[in-house]
Amino acid sequence: MMPPQHRQASAWLKAVNLLKPSTTPGWRYVYWFPTVFVVSNYFYNLKIVSGRSMQPTLNPDASLWRDVGLFNRYAIHTKLDFNRDDIVALRSPEDPNRILVKRIVALAGDRVKTLPPYPNPEVVVPQGQAWIEGDEPFHSDDSNRFGPVPLSLIESRLVAVVWPPSRFGHQFQPTIVDKDISNPNKHSAYRLAMAELERQRWRTTRVAAAPRSSL
Amino acid sequence: MRRTLEWVGNTVKHAITRIKSPYVVTKRIGIAGLKLVNLACATHLFLEYVGTVSLMSGPSMLPTLASSGEVVVEDKLSLRLNPASLARGDLVVVRSPINPTLIVCKRVIGLPGDVVCVDPTGLKAPSTEHVIVPKGHIWLCGDNMLYSRDSRDYGPVPMALIRSKLVARIWPLKDSTIFRNPMRVLD
Repeated sequence: MMPPQHRQASAWLKAVNLLKPSTTPGWRYVYWFPTVFVVSNYFYNLKIVSGRSMQPTLNPDASLWRDVGLFNRYAIHTKLDFNRDDIVALRSPEDPNRILVKRIVALAGDRVKTLPPYPNPEVVVPQGQAWIEGDEPFHSDDSNRFGPVPLSLIESRLVAVVWPPSRFGHQFQPTIVDKDISNPNKHSAYRLAMAELERQRWRTTRVAAAPRSSL
Repeated sequence: MRRTLEWVGNTVKHAITRIKSPYVVTKRIGIAGLKLVNLACATHLFLEYVGTVSLMSGPSMLPTLASSGEVVVEDKLSLRLNPASLARGDLVVVRSPINPTLIVCKRVIGLPGDVVCVDPTGLKAPSTEHVIVPKGHIWLCGDNMLYSRDSRDYGPVPMALIRSKLVARIWPLKDSTIFRNPMRVLD
């Protein structure tokens, strides 16, 4: 039989031990949460891309899986490195809780030929803003609806697709087309690459790029 | 003499047993370093998501805030938990919509759906011009209308750019106040 004083002390010790990271198994992971959070907030994070506004680049087919992308926050948040043709994640200007994934079509000073919902046929992107569009213009709420968006809304840049595995590490800049069409196995890849190149050409013909100044 | 030798021998033996292998030492230093980084991250997250103290500068909020040397308390949590608590007349800190490196402090004039006069002073727009603040946006204005770049220049600001609400001024001590919302509804 323990004396009551001792029992009280041991209960107190038990309570203290629960708060120690070394004693409770769950704590060991919760304890490192700040570091994980900072890494995902300022360096790299994974996001699930839903919706068809970026078809056929992201979510190209009607599968149940949605694409998961690796996003680089460091290049945008810290280095402020914005480029035309980059796919970026940004907070919607219309709803602060929504995150959109779109492509930067034009930067400050560029003259863009707009698409239908926008009232003016041409617009010059103001300083500190960007013109963003989805790759699929018919299913996309983008700058053609709400106009140029502030660069401060842009959060991160898509680096690669992580899921599904068939398109793991997909490149988004269609620069190299494999022209070896003698091999029938490469025909579909060739067609896809050419289609991507064609879309990029169509995008660039709509933009009269201004010489890059700061931002 | 013999006792001295014994003492030296014992001390050396003791010291040798106390020496940890380099692996253990490196591991300990590594874990301590990681814990330090983790603590720094936790502090940063607190300052970023709960609240922080910051130094204000710039003439755009005169006379509410002096143009230099004032320290205020920012409340970042309440707007995150309850975005609907944002009211006309609140002082907010936002990331500038025309320069992503700049963080500015302004007063909320209009909420989504409000009709606001673009510039009652007629400095930057005719004083008869009115706009409707679009969905998800707010209308911001500096208190010092003569020297402030705000919604009169760049239009309505997306709510996603709001970072915090100003709570109080704590420095200089003799001017320390809690900022109350000065907005009144006129019938």
